[in-house]
Amino acid sequence: MVRVGGRVTEILVVDDSKVMREMIVACLRVAEDFTFTHAASGLEAIEKLALQAFDLVVLDLNMPDIGGFEVIEFIRGQDKLHHLPILVVTTRGDEGSRSRALGAGASQFMTKPFTPDAILANVQSMLRPDGAESP
Amino acid sequence: MSHAFDASEFLAGFLVEAEEHLSASTMNLLAVEASLRKGENNPRAVRELFRSLHTVKGLSAMVGIEPIVDIAHAMETVLRKADRAAGALSAKAVEALLAGLRAIGERVRALSTSAPVAPAPPQLLDALAALEITKDEAPITVELDLEPGLLAKLSDAEKAQLIQGAENGRRALRVDFVPSPARAAEGTTITSVRERIGAMAEIVKVVPLSIPASDAAPGGLAFALLVLTDATDEALAAAAATTPEEIQTLHARRVDEADPLGEPDSAEEGVGETEGRRRGIVRVDVARLDDALERLSALVITRFRLARAADALAAQGVNVGELCEIVKGYGRQVRDLRGSIMRARMVPVAELLDRVPLIVRGLSRTTQKPVRVVIDAGKAELDKAVAERIFPAIVHLIRNAVDHAIEPPAERQRLGKPEEGLVRVTCFERSTNQLELGISDDGRGIDREAVARRASRPTPADDAALLDLITLPGLTTLDQATKTSGRGLGMDIVKRAVLDLGGELGLRTTPGAGTTFTLLIPLTITIVDAFSFVCGEQTFVAPISAIEEVVEVAPEALVRGPSRHSQLGEVRFMERRGEIVPLVNLASVFSLASGEEPKALVVRRNGTPLAFGIQRVVGQQEVVIRPLEDPLVKVTGISGSTDLGDGRPTLVLDLVALCGALSQNRTEVAA
Amino acid sequence: MSELYVVFKLDDAEYVLQASDVLEMESFGGATRVPGTPPYVAGLIHIRGRVVPVVDLRLRFGLPRIEPTLDSRVIVVQSGERTVGLLVDSAREIMKIAPEGLQAPPSWMGGEGDGFVKSVAHVEGSSGEKRLVMLINCAKVIGQEGIYVDERN
Repeated sequence: MVRVGGRVTEILVVDDSKVMREMIVACLRVAEDFTFTHAASGLEAIEKLALQAFDLVVLDLNMPDIGGFEVIEFIRGQDKLHHLPILVVTTRGDEGSRSRALGAGASQFMTKPFTPDAILANVQSMLRPDGAESP
Repeated sequence: MSHAFDASEFLAGFLVEAEEHLSASTMNLLAVEASLRKGENNPRAVRELFRSLHTVKGLSAMVGIEPIVDIAHAMETVLRKADRAAGALSAKAVEALLAGLRAIGERVRALSTSAPVAPAPPQLLDALAALEITKDEAPITVELDLEPGLLAKLSDAEKAQLIQGAENGRRALRVDFVPSPARAAEGTTITSVRERIGAMAEIVKVVPLSIPASDAAPGGLAFALLVLTDATDEALAAAAATTPEEIQTLHARRVDEADPLGEPDSAEEGVGETEGRRRGIVRVDVARLDDALERLSALVITRFRLARAADALAAQGVNVGELCEIVKGYGRQVRDLRGSIMRARMVPVAELLDRVPLIVRGLSRTTQKPVRVVIDAGKAELDKAVAERIFPAIVHLIRNAVDHAIEPPAERQRLGKPEEGLVRVTCFERSTNQLELGISDDGRGIDREAVARRASRPTPADDAALLDLITLPGLTTLDQATKTSGRGLGMDIVKRAVLDLGGELGLRTTPGAGTTFTLLIPLTITIVDAFSFVCGEQTFVAPISAIEEVVEVAPEALVRGPSRHSQLGEVRFMERRGEIVPLVNLASVFSLASGEEPKALVVRRNGTPLAFGIQRVVGQQEVVIRPLEDPLVKVTGISGSTDLGDGRPTLVLDLVALCGALSQNRTEVAA
Repeated sequence: MSELYVVFKLDDAEYVLQASDVLEMESFGGATRVPGTPPYVAGLIHIRGRVVPVVDLRLRFGLPRIEPTLDSRVIVVQSGERTVGLLVDSAREIMKIAPEGLQAPPSWMGGEGDGFVKSVAHVEGSSGEKRLVMLINCAKVIGQEGIYVDERN
């Protein structure tokens, strides 16, 4: 179980596919103190990030409105969001986007399809950057 | 694995989204083709296509459908190149991409019927891989007067779109929206603003901007919406929760040479497309709406209980005037709620017919007949459940039209017809609860005599009789079943699909000139006004719409006819306003204990009346019909079940279908 | 790993169903008959907001019809996409059977119930007595084969 300062961990899940968001949430749901907020577009994500505090963002790259890269750029351009962990989850087979995403400021990058364990482990390690505790 | 992830749980959602992307992609590809014919590129459609295929690929990978991943990946690769080449796609590429969409569609449909999913066809993958995409350079000589930070966020295509729009007389504007928690609490968010602006303007791009945080902008964020519009500043300002003064007009200025705009964005970023129409639309699984209806049915039942309890009190001499008013008001509220849910279930018919051009295209190619398709669906809407059931029938009629009805081009030329055949699909709301769908062609018409010869039956006297004949189970009008229409639905099944929905099928054909099939179908099927009645000691309900009249049967006025069909019991005849109406005992039809049947329900099918004798009418009420899907209980004339409040299922009868089954039986016996 | 099975009775014989296929077990208070269906279709019942057809297993297995008793049960099973109720004389017990305990049914188990029994098992009762239970083939009993028309291309 993950505890960040003894409070609930707020995760923003950004993907234009509702099914994909539900799948991501299903994978992460096992940690009881996670709560999830959905955003169906990059714009919606940016708005929520500006108005609300989150502990972590799970972000798709390929979206209508504005894409994931612009969301990363926006996050990294904000003082208060500078340290927000961003897990980019995108469709496999695009090595170029991995280096671009990490270069732009994503904290972690994983490709679909992913296993529940992999995404959960990634999220947990990102929330515990010191790696003090092992699962 | 610390916990299992069951992809099958998401399959239904996957199917819904995949179908949406496929249908949008088909439209986009057809738009690309249309542009191609005008010698233009369509970068916007190409990007949308890329985005859809990319999403389909990712979703398919998650639910483990490798063949779709492979096909979508190959298509995506082509589209990424095309996107980088400013949307350049050749006719050959369009062809290959269409084949790809078809291949994905087939696999999605296989999945939805739990059938095995075929691997990706290697020829298709090869054809996609072999496509060459070349870029044609078009230097930009006009620039927008925007602050550089904003300008840098626009792609060439987006700039061109704004500039062209302005040149064509529309206003190119920048409208800013500043989100805040207070606005979000009122429901004013970038999503709702985008939707409202999208309704009055073409949104080219939305750019997030960091601004100094203030009381008015606690998030330190603003969105700049760059739009093309004819709407007033006042209307736009209201939609974006700002003032008209804040709206900025964008001017184009000529530049001497194209700015070095840098490399086009990689596709992942390049797909940040602004597409306004879909925003603000919630995708809802029909099952959830069904669930809502289910819950609503409980309210409908409560209303009956209340009404019954009030009646009981009244019978004891209690003054129930006020109670009755409340029950009535409650009934109205339930009806309104039902109306809202039903509206949520409606889909535009135009959307349902999205795939038709693609189908016609495919058929046209297989049959080597040039065919033009005209669709006029207007604004009609249809319950999603009805839409899903009727679509296969529409497709079959279109297939028949292209395959059998439209003559080969040489023959058409000889006949003095345009070489290109015409298939027209029209749709309009005939009444508040009925939709008329028409599928016509300008082909050879149906040859009555030829059909009769093949069926070894007498030549039908009119179109109605001809329709009865061609919809007999197992009859094909061609000597050989052809590739395109030999499989799947026969005309008998088209008819069944229409009748199952409580609809009617019609035919008008002129030899040499063409054929029109009309499908009258109900807009919704789930809740109907119904009579409940007792027959053979069992309670049934039947939709009021199907019943012409409830009559008293006067035994002394009945005429006994020779009974040709002992199964139906006695067929008797009664006179009703100068018309002779056959009367059958419903209990005997259903092999139930039959007794006195002093009442009768008069039903009309194809103009011919039939009366079903019943014991007594119980009442009239709104019922929620649940279709009976299980093969164990699929019986002609029984369309579903409902709950009248006693907790037990009550059968819903389709008396018109029953009427049809009986008369068919009779014809067969007579023949 | 032993699996759980629901045991039910018809006449003197004991049958089992995989517990994972069983959605509900309810007492039987009568069903709405559907005219035009085979005699073994007892009719429709409501179970938790669903309308479910019920197969009278006595009639399906060629046994004489009896009046339902307080012991009569409807076992609601999920078979593929379908949800169907099975009306049985009684159903009270859950048992574990190891996979190796299941054997092919003897060939003489034919006649009316041909193919309805998938396998048989000898199990030991609570007081040590030997019992023979038959695992039924649900799909066959509710007539799954050949019912659906394939409309795909």
